[in-house]
Amino acid sequence: MTDDKDVLRDVWFGRIPTCFTLYQDEITEREAEPYYLLLPRVSYLTLVTDKVKKHFQKVMRQEDISEIWFEYEGTPLKWHYPIGLLFDLLASSSALPWNITVHFKSFPEKDLLHCPSKDVIEAHFMSCVKEADALKHKSQVINEMQKKDHKQLWMGLQNDRFDQFWAINRKLMEYPAEENGFRYIPFRIYQTTTERPFIQKLFRPVATDGQLHTLGDLLKEVCPSAVAPEGSGRAGPAATAHGPSRSAARGIFPDRGTNPRPLHRQVDSQPLHHQGSPILTLISLFQSSG
Amino acid sequence: MEEDEFFGEETFQHYCAEFIKHSQKIGDGWEWRTSKEALEPPLDDFEVTEPTTATEVIKYEYHVLYSCSYQVPVLYFRASFLDGSPLALKDIWEGVHECYKTRLLHRPWDTITQQEHPILGQPFFVLHPCKTNEFMTPVLKNSQKINRNVNYITSWLSMVGPAVGLNLPLSYARAAFQDEGNVNRQDSSIEPKSLEEP
Repeated sequence: MTDDKDVLRDVWFGRIPTCFTLYQDEITEREAEPYYLLLPRVSYLTLVTDKVKKHFQKVMRQEDISEIWFEYEGTPLKWHYPIGLLFDLLASSSALPWNITVHFKSFPEKDLLHCPSKDVIEAHFMSCVKEADALKHKSQVINEMQKKDHKQLWMGLQNDRFDQFWAINRKLMEYPAEENGFRYIPFRIYQTTTERPFIQKLFRPVATDGQLHTLGDLLKEVCPSAVAPEGSGRAGPAATAHGPSRSAARGIFPDRGTNPRPLHRQVDSQPLHHQGSPILTLISLFQSSG
Repeated sequence: MEEDEFFGEETFQHYCAEFIKHSQKIGDGWEWRTSKEALEPPLDDFEVTEPTTATEVIKYEYHVLYSCSYQVPVLYFRASFLDGSPLALKDIWEGVHECYKTRLLHRPWDTITQQEHPILGQPFFVLHPCKTNEFMTPVLKNSQKINRNVNYITSWLSMVGPAVGLNLPLSYARAAFQDEGNVNRQDSSIEPKSLEEP
């Protein structure tokens, strides 16, 4: 995994330039200027927007403020999805900066989870890590860790500390020498075209004949509609494995079979791992325009 | 999907089918639903609407889903007033009976959190599934010892349900006892009863 350290760092330090604008119907005492911020792809909206909140609350009265929530072109943004996933799913084809609207009233109860405190984000994050380890190691590695190790994972994310985070996360990325890989690959596939939030299924990294599965194998099996038949000449859908800007990271765009990289190695090498909940691989699928 | 698991998805479907049979007999409103996606094995859920008889009518909706990550069933639920406004976590919490509060408070992984429903994509409350195996294994081991049929879903739901307002009529237990299909975990060739798919 050491040769992939560059990729791990690229993924971790990926940023999205964002412009936050207050919703026009919010009641303000004076005009609210937009607020610009570089958002970490690996993190969560409610974890990294304290400054945004403070900026807009300065021009509002206390009684007009309730729980903050964010929206992009009319779609409430699910704070419990990693920022990079939200951007890639909803806004990647638009010009930068990403324009997000900030709300302080009319919380959309039917669409968004409440986020009353940082503890809720931590609980959600740790829940993702634990579920992923249930798939990878039958929860053995995560359960053997001490509480302080769990805390270190969270603090690493919260404080943007790559080394602090990976000191613990590397244990979650190992498997015994006699095994060929994890028990199952923790992944979720997000598509804008379906009602269902994501596809998640059991998928082994190694076939019964010992061959390592590639990302293409996974897509063919769990989301065949997303894979263009070989030789069809069609561009087909593109899959983004969650990572930073495409030019920066190797192996981020699976090129539909011509350069198969064993899924398992990709899992190891982090590009297929979503940085924010680094154990669950998040793949968003969208139709390419070509 | 392979059945090397203790409680695989097919087993889940089998017990749900038995459970639904009894529900239809007594008319307490559980329904079997599959997700619309034809490409995947369904992540199935079923729900019931149970208005309380208190002065304020609250509608509870319960869904039982299968978690392939933990290989156990998971209880999702939400509650709303008749006008549609949802109950907040603190309202739900107030409705939990005292005797369950201690249990929920002392075991963080039994606690109720708000999560996104994996099929509907909407906020629901969930009882965390990662300790389910811990309390279900003794139940199943014991039933095997005394050679008694147990419906996993019935047993599990009767344990987790009451903490969140869902009480199963006793007739479910009697029905499970009479159930013809005792699923032996060594026997991986159990055929789930065929279910109506819309």
